[in-house]
Amino acid sequence: MKHSVNRPPTPDEDDASEGFEKDEVTLREIINVKLVESGEKENLMELVRDRLVECGWKDEMRIACREHVKKKGRKDVTVDELIRVITPKGRASVPDSVKAELLNRIQNFIVSAAL
Amino acid sequence: MSARISFLKNPDPCNHLSGYKLRYGTDGYKSFQSLFSCFNDGRIKIKLREIEIPRCSYCSVYQKRLYICLFCRSISCSSHILLHTQLNKGHDIAIDVERSELYCCACIDQVYDPEFDEIVVSKQLVGLGMSVKSGADVVAVRSNKKRRLDSQLIIGSKFLVSPRDRREKWSFPLGLRGLNNLGSTCFMNAVLQALVHAPPLRNFWLSGQHNRDLCPRRTMGLLCLPCDLDVIFAAMFSGDRTPYSPAHLLHSWWQHSTNLATYEQQDSHEFFISLLDRIHENEGKSKCLYQDHEECQCITHKAFSGLLRSDVTCTTCGSTSTTYDPFIDISLTLDSANGFSPADCRKNRYNGGPSVNATMPTLSGCLDFFTRSEKLGPDQKLNCQSCGEKRESSKQMSIRRLPLLLCLHVKRFEHSLTRKTSRKIDSYLQYPFRLNMSPYLSSSIIGKRFGNRMFAFDGEGEYDSSSSSPPSAEFEIFAVVTHSGMLESGHYVTYLRLKGLWYKCDDSWINEVEEEVVRGCECYMLFYAQEKVIQKAHKELSYQVISMAEAFPFANC
Repeated sequence: MKHSVNRPPTPDEDDASEGFEKDEVTLREIINVKLVESGEKENLMELVRDRLVECGWKDEMRIACREHVKKKGRKDVTVDELIRVITPKGRASVPDSVKAELLNRIQNFIVSAAL
Repeated sequence: MSARISFLKNPDPCNHLSGYKLRYGTDGYKSFQSLFSCFNDGRIKIKLREIEIPRCSYCSVYQKRLYICLFCRSISCSSHILLHTQLNKGHDIAIDVERSELYCCACIDQVYDPEFDEIVVSKQLVGLGMSVKSGADVVAVRSNKKRRLDSQLIIGSKFLVSPRDRREKWSFPLGLRGLNNLGSTCFMNAVLQALVHAPPLRNFWLSGQHNRDLCPRRTMGLLCLPCDLDVIFAAMFSGDRTPYSPAHLLHSWWQHSTNLATYEQQDSHEFFISLLDRIHENEGKSKCLYQDHEECQCITHKAFSGLLRSDVTCTTCGSTSTTYDPFIDISLTLDSANGFSPADCRKNRYNGGPSVNATMPTLSGCLDFFTRSEKLGPDQKLNCQSCGEKRESSKQMSIRRLPLLLCLHVKRFEHSLTRKTSRKIDSYLQYPFRLNMSPYLSSSIIGKRFGNRMFAFDGEGEYDSSSSSPPSAEFEIFAVVTHSGMLESGHYVTYLRLKGLWYKCDDSWINEVEEEVVRGCECYMLFYAQEKVIQKAHKELSYQVISMAEAFPFANC
């Protein structure tokens, strides 16, 4: 049996993920900056908006908001509250096709911008 | 809970916004004008510097909803905006960077100010090369209404409306607008509301098929009620929500029906018939359509005309003579004795619904009564062809062809010639929102008499013999005219159903109401439309608007 004493200490779970995340954040930021600079970000935003309207997602969200307001009463709801309540539903119900298309576009962009 | 939405007001500003306005007026808003950046799809963002990505000054995120402070222009995310207010006294109002919408940090909620929106919009208009009058005078511009109503063209996109009206415009269906009472004219207002929202009529006028600028009668100086209606349709759908006074139409109608030209209360149903009649006259004459009602293609007949079948049977030999008569509405006798329909009772018991009061009149009961086999009295003997002499007979009505729009008139005003008195029948009449007219069609009525033998009944229920879709007997309600009060001094109110929601139109006042209110009202005239008409209307009158961007869809117009 090998001695465990000489083995380097197992890094803390927190440290590891933090380090990993830090790199990811920087990379994400770089991509974002490139997207904004080239104007591709705006195109992508418009694309996503169009797709979400087409597939009825926007209507679904509007109905969900209405229902929430009906439940709480008009006077008691704030925009912040609506955002807080509806966002998880919204994220969960975005169709996979939309996600796939967006991912594809971003990938193509990264390749073409030779990052 | 009745959702009563105030129809004519913007949401009230919070204290913080009012306070801000008192101190700074619109200067703060104007200072942001140079920062508004307009996009193709109508969105307006705030851009500080061309390529820069806005970030929260407290935590540097850029992915969340960001707000820029009106006072110091520092940017905070939704998590830190409250902190910003706390650290900087008086910095209450901010603008959503992505959407250019006002936000009150102290109230932690979005707030609204028409003057702010005006400034944002004027930037947008300038960007589009349209001339803009200063400040509060952005005028209503009407584009060519003569274009056919295309299902893709949403009406709101054809009109630019005064920013003062924008909020109301967004919340409510198009065309919803109060009508001022010009002196006991609620009878007219009630009918007008129903007609303005009848899809075939709405489409006819809004697509310019009777344009007052092109009308030959009007150019000759002749009276033309369809022209007056053209004015009304334009006004109702203009986006202006202030109550409208249909004075021209009233005046023209008086000139046609001088005996009714008083300020006294008139009968709504009488007005309805006379108005439709005038439209037929004007339309028919000026467009040389057929004089024979059955073939007439004027809008009155296209929309409301159906065919009644009357069978008179000799009780001695059984031979029947059949005649057909056109109708534009059906008047139903309301008598508590006859209104009750056994079918309703059975249906309710099966569905587990509330048990129908055996003596409560229902609409189906009235329709059953209308299509019953009626023994004509001994003084009404008719000449029987096969017997060769006058015999006692029975008569039965049925519907040979259903119209696009079915108007059912409940006869609540009884005028007795013998007693020279009139009275109003106040009994409650139960009626459905969805009505299947098949039991009252000739095929059903005649079929029942002969034990369901096979008969050829072509074209029944069809409104258009050239249409390829199968005839439908399913109707949906879209308007209810009610009368409350006494014979001489009552009041007419109309309930409209638009996109599934009910609205009460009481002269100048419009309110959204719950279904139960409408079900419980004392109906006088019921307006049903074939279900495909309603479905088509739903698609045409889309009004999904959440932000300014959609109210002004300039893109790709």
